Amino acid sequence: MSLLSEDLQDALKEIINIGVGKAAGTMNELLGHHIILEIPQVAIIHPEKLGIETTADHHETVSLVTLEFSGQFSGITTLLFTPDSASKLVDLLVGEETAHDELDAIKTGTLTEVGNILLNAVMGSIGNILKSRISYSLPSYREGTVADILLPLVGRESAVLEVTTRFTVQERQIVGEFLLMFEVGSFERFIEALDAALNGE
Amino acid sequence: MAIILHVDDSSFSRTQIRKILLKAGHTVLEADSGISALNLLQTQAPDLIISDILMPEMDGMEFLAVLKEQSCSIPVIMVTADIQEGTKTACLNLGAHNLLNKPPKEEELLSAIENAITQET
Repeated sequence: MSLLSEDLQDALKEIINIGVGKAAGTMNELLGHHIILEIPQVAIIHPEKLGIETTADHHETVSLVTLEFSGQFSGITTLLFTPDSASKLVDLLVGEETAHDELDAIKTGTLTEVGNILLNAVMGSIGNILKSRISYSLPSYREGTVADILLPLVGRESAVLEVTTRFTVQERQIVGEFLLMFEVGSFERFIEALDAALNGE
Repeated sequence: MAIILHVDDSSFSRTQIRKILLKAGHTVLEADSGISALNLLQTQAPDLIISDILMPEMDGMEFLAVLKEQSCSIPVIMVTADIQEGTKTACLNLGAHNLLNKPPKEEELLSAIENAITQET
């Protein structure tokens, strides 16, 4: 983050806040309960730090929903939950107790669609603010370690924007992490679009 | 009450919307893709179509384009996770009656359905 000017850092955090806020509003609609949202933490990390500087421990199997995006800037956006948070979220949505290791097809489908909706909320907000049209692939659900799943999807010279936030729903804390992995060269175009928006262009 | 065809590859979304429609007394037909929806339309005549956009094989935009090509007069409401303003414009230009974002509020969806069907009759 220190590579960006203070104004750009502020603008980036604000855009992410708006996007995550939109995701929280959407989660409120899905769950029918008030969501308490912590201020998202935003950091730019090197791909090699995936699974090291991310919330999930690099040995831990996590639930991930990924969505490829393209347009003025391109890459992959990911929503990541630890098994405990995934279970809590599915419990709230489906209304049944879900063991961590018993995510069947229905619950996988649930997490995929919810992940799709939340990722669209974040990315769509960013696209609307930056006046940049974004296209998406079909969402994909995977389970595994962060490094095993995401490192093969992103080049070692890519930039990764890590957004960590905590939602609390009915006293159950759900930790969600958004990762925006930009293809090589794409992060610079993203920052240019951010700069243009900052200067009212 | 109306016969409504809902097109979405997500079983979660189909379940959510099915509950709203059945509670309101509508008859629900379902398809998990644009292609299976087109096949279903050869033998069924719903009063309204609700469709997702991002789907495998044939996405919602392509589905809209085919319906327009076939001069299909059934009103279509798009329900999508894509909140971008350009997406709504693109869908309306392809002939969609309305676009709602997921998850749609029950009152908002039912009101959109009523408006679409009323305007068609």
